[in-house]
Amino acid sequence: MKKKFKFSTLLKYFALIILFVYIISPFLWLLIMSVSSSAELTLKPLRWIPEKIDFSAFKELLVMGLNTRGELFLYALRNSLVTAMTTVLLSMLVTIPAAWVFSRYSGKKNVILSLAIFTFMLPPVAYCIPLYKLLVRFDLMDKSLALAFVYCTFVLPFCVWLIKSSIDAIPYELEEAAVIDGAGFLQRIIQIVMPLLLPALGTVALMSLIMAWDEYFYAMLFTNSKAAITLPVVIANLASGRQSNYNLIAAGGVLASAPPVIIGMLFQKALIKGLVSGGVKE
Amino acid sequence: MSYKQIKGSYSFLTIPMILIMGMVIGWPLIQTFIFSFTDADLLGITKPGFTGLNNFLDAFQNRGFLNSLKVSGIFAVVVVSVEVILGTSVALLLNQPLIGSKVVRVFLILPWAVPTIVNAIMWRLIYNPEYGALNSLLYQLGFIDKYISWLSSADKALWAIIFADIWKNFSLVTLIVLASLQSLPESQVEAAKIDGANSWQRFFYITMPHIIPSLQVAMVLRIIEAVKVFDIIYVMTKGGPANKTRTGSIFIYQEAFTNSRIGAGSSFAIIMVAFIILLILVYMRTLSQQKR
Repeated sequence: MKKKFKFSTLLKYFALIILFVYIISPFLWLLIMSVSSSAELTLKPLRWIPEKIDFSAFKELLVMGLNTRGELFLYALRNSLVTAMTTVLLSMLVTIPAAWVFSRYSGKKNVILSLAIFTFMLPPVAYCIPLYKLLVRFDLMDKSLALAFVYCTFVLPFCVWLIKSSIDAIPYELEEAAVIDGAGFLQRIIQIVMPLLLPALGTVALMSLIMAWDEYFYAMLFTNSKAAITLPVVIANLASGRQSNYNLIAAGGVLASAPPVIIGMLFQKALIKGLVSGGVKE
Repeated sequence: MSYKQIKGSYSFLTIPMILIMGMVIGWPLIQTFIFSFTDADLLGITKPGFTGLNNFLDAFQNRGFLNSLKVSGIFAVVVVSVEVILGTSVALLLNQPLIGSKVVRVFLILPWAVPTIVNAIMWRLIYNPEYGALNSLLYQLGFIDKYISWLSSADKALWAIIFADIWKNFSLVTLIVLASLQSLPESQVEAAKIDGANSWQRFFYITMPHIIPSLQVAMVLRIIEAVKVFDIIYVMTKGGPANKTRTGSIFIYQEAFTNSRIGAGSSFAIIMVAFIILLILVYMRTLSQQKR
């Protein structure tokens, strides 16, 4: 009995080590590639640890210069940030009041809520053609603000779904008590609902930021220059070119991963809690 | 003060959201529907003509389209089932009191947080036929004596992409299931132990029922993503080789934006939407039957 116990524990540790290697190794290799020289990455077979750490790829991407890779990359970095933040701001601004109504007044209006959640499941190819024609017609191609509005197609349904279920968790009696005490509508929302909702809103905002940061399809279709192009598009273009600067591609990947990975590691618990609590109740 | 007064009427607060949704979701969806009955082209060179159901009839004869739906289906089924099984197993493992499992848990978020496009280019570099890490590793370990071009061989490309997608997305399932496992009251497990339930019985009668609602959430999220997959495949293979990795979304994109046939492309999109609606209905049906 005792021996068997030990053997199964050994197996578990073995599995744990394999799991760790599986999770870490692809990204670790990306990191190593990003600090290798491009000559080292074209050896056959590969050398796994670079002779000396070489930051030239990062330098090429992060130093500004007229019509250089660095210029495009830095603009894309800015555009990705601007687009993602505008999307989140816009979505939160319109979904918080709507979600409050959906939560407090169930009934016919919840058809709209179901419809919103339903559209979350549809593929972007179902919208992209008319959106493309619309943007061309009104001269909105290659503009971050227009892209942010397009991103609302998937961020809005997500926000309204999660925020509504977070408001559901706030007892309505608290609001009633405030109204009886003479609180006006704005007071009731700002003093009672918002403070209790704030942690959930933080989670939703972070998740939406990551979603918008991640987006590729619409950005590829609707942007084409440094005016609005986003990081995923720049990186995909970098990788699809017939060139062998693998360290450069890897460095781009590392830089684009840094914000979501850092956010994820810092706020892991909150992110998962938000996702689970929103979903399980539906 | 009556209850009515407390409630008031605040429906107008939903108007901004409805306006934006109407603009970026509702209106385009209706347009796609209308386009699907025409022979419209992307640039609007010729005036679009009404073609009735022709696009739809053609769609079901179109080998390329039907094949792309098949590829989407294979991708979604394999990816979601592996991710659910692997993700749940990993969650159960990490829920054990093992030294070091906390460290692994911190890194678990890494694959999920890496952007889809970065994941795609990362694996593209790893699969590179000449200088990729996979070939080099397998060669140095003596598993292969010749480098393999993973992404350009017709029988391997889709599986290589599936492997890459699983790496990124199994961790979402793990994270969700793990959160649920941690909310399982210790007392329940203890009580079962005292009643003489062995570890398998404890797993099937206590742990499983507890994690199933969370698992369903994870599954729905993954199915939604997998059925409409575009990004990872487009960046890794653009749908090739020999269209073996061309999914429904990629086919529709090419039809509309490469071949400039937005009428036909729209009808394919509408068919795909219909399939997704069907999928949701079947899913909700099974859910409500389970509850009964």
